[in-house]
Amino acid sequence: MKGGAAACSRPLPRGLCGLGVPAVCQELFKGWGLIRKEDRHLSLLELTWAVAGAVILTKSCQTASIATANASAQGRSHVDAQVQTEAPVPVSVQPLSRYDVPRLAAFLRRVEAMVIRELNKNWQSHAFDGFEVNWTEQQQMVSCLYTLGYPPAQAQGLHVTGISWNSTGSVVACAYGRLDHGDWSTLKSFVCAWNLDRRGLSPRQPSAVVEVPSAVLCLAFHPTQPSHVAGGLYSGEVLVWDLSRPEDPLLWRTGLTDDTHTDPVSQVVWLPEPGHSHRFQVLSVATDGKVLLWRGVGAGQLRLTEGFALVMQQLPRSTKLKKHSRGETEVGATAVAFSSFDPRLFILGTEGGFPLKCSLAAGEAALTRMPSSVPLRAPAQFTFSPHGGPVYSVSCSPFHRNLFLSAGTDGHVHLYSMLQAPPLTSLQLSLKYLFAVRWSPVRPLVFAAASGEGDVLLFDLQKSSQKPTVLIKQTQDESPVYCLEFNSQQTQLLAAGDAQGTVKVWQLSTEFVEQGPREAEDLDRLAAEVAT
Amino acid sequence: MNEWMNTDREPDPLPSSLPGPTAPSLGEPQAEVEETLKRIQSHKGVIGTMVVNAEGIPIRTTLDNSTTVQYAGLLHHLTMKAKSTVRDIDPQNDLTFLRIRSKKHEIMVAPDKEYLLIVIQNPCE
Repeated sequence: MKGGAAACSRPLPRGLCGLGVPAVCQELFKGWGLIRKEDRHLSLLELTWAVAGAVILTKSCQTASIATANASAQGRSHVDAQVQTEAPVPVSVQPLSRYDVPRLAAFLRRVEAMVIRELNKNWQSHAFDGFEVNWTEQQQMVSCLYTLGYPPAQAQGLHVTGISWNSTGSVVACAYGRLDHGDWSTLKSFVCAWNLDRRGLSPRQPSAVVEVPSAVLCLAFHPTQPSHVAGGLYSGEVLVWDLSRPEDPLLWRTGLTDDTHTDPVSQVVWLPEPGHSHRFQVLSVATDGKVLLWRGVGAGQLRLTEGFALVMQQLPRSTKLKKHSRGETEVGATAVAFSSFDPRLFILGTEGGFPLKCSLAAGEAALTRMPSSVPLRAPAQFTFSPHGGPVYSVSCSPFHRNLFLSAGTDGHVHLYSMLQAPPLTSLQLSLKYLFAVRWSPVRPLVFAAASGEGDVLLFDLQKSSQKPTVLIKQTQDESPVYCLEFNSQQTQLLAAGDAQGTVKVWQLSTEFVEQGPREAEDLDRLAAEVAT
Repeated sequence: MNEWMNTDREPDPLPSSLPGPTAPSLGEPQAEVEETLKRIQSHKGVIGTMVVNAEGIPIRTTLDNSTTVQYAGLLHHLTMKAKSTVRDIDPQNDLTFLRIRSKKHEIMVAPDKEYLLIVIQNPCE
């Protein structure tokens, strides 16, 4: 055992000490017979190691070589075939006759009793009263996430007049202008946008700035294109910009034609084109009493497609209004809101303080001498009871087809049902003006209002129908908050712009973001309190 | 000849806990199906009722098509999973009823070899 003898001169490997002694002894006795007589004088330990060492074998294996061969194939002839998928037929409910009616009847007979029993138990059960599950982290307080501003605009003393979130919910844009009277027709103003999802967001440096020759009074982002934004100017023009093109953002403009508004534009709204749900038109309302629908045609021109004019004489006399002198008196429109349930129905807020229910489908011609390339129609179908002053903002509920809010200079918010002229409730929220009111996109009973005292008021009709649930002080010096918008993608965010030229993005507490279990029913009940 | 007339069959014994005014008319299974479903649907708080077959295809429903298809597919999967859960824990046991309580309402599923009865109820709070 030559190898064994040579191996014995090496020191014992460490691991061997751990080897079980009985196993080693067994191996030892087995191997004893293999060791030549002359080597048997070696010490036990050394032999152990030698024997253990002999157990190790090296093996190698090799697979037999695999035969490979190259072959090629080529098709000679080909045939054209067309494949077209059919529009998927929605899985419809199978008519009963295809199924085994007696077996279905037998099944229902078997389970009916149990189901009725469970329904009864459930109806009477109080087991889950007050039981709520928290799936998300709770945010207790309303906090200010960002304070954004554009210093050159603030240096000129410009106010934030309009605010809008884009279709993805990550960009907030604001329009600078002035809402109090002054010589602002020659002021250059700005439209600024901040991308809140971008890292390294600088609050004083917007991600996109557009210089506009005239004051911008309202702003609206395109519903599907994340970078297109429409704005209404003091000069009566409507412009559409593409914020992703910094060198030349202007996409379309109305220009100053006979069709353009002759007064400052109060609000712009994007509407889907009838028949083409992916193309959109811009609707603008102004204090000259016109509601105009524009479509972008080639070469950057916004062309008028439809127009409406509000004339005092043509307003439906559903409620007593102040008498006006004879003659065609225009009714200035200051706010517009479209119903989420009927795309042709909209509410207009007017300078006279009375909201109007209008329809895009109205056919009657307007008695106006204003020049227009498209015949102007009278849109009003119903007049609601007036506020004590001009209405600055209206908002239609996204959860109920008949409810809408209006807010005006009398500091009151009126909750109207479209079925009756007087409001369902009237709440005094401010001693000064109210500039904006918006329904929450997630909670049916919550709305927010912007006041002239510099506050953003959050109202939860479920908690209290008299006073606001949360009052956020946006400005320290009581300068007014002019506009606010909820973010419909990130529903805990609310942006508000004020007279100091700052936009503050507020993060709402969880209670404003999650719907309660019976809110929709409570809203229905509220709407049903229509006086008969 | 009235095809629903079933004169050559022994009438099934009525379960004694069956509520309702009278026994279902045995000779007309289709009318019986309608009556039973109407009884369930008109119970207090019930928003919707539907019957789904063993493959998850809805057979009868009181809700609109797209909602029905959604409920049927999802609840069929969930019921199968619940059934296998019960059987895995104890092979002698079997699923008899499934109730899901959510913030807004309660969904009840009565499972069977061939069909599923799904009832959505808005409980009184």
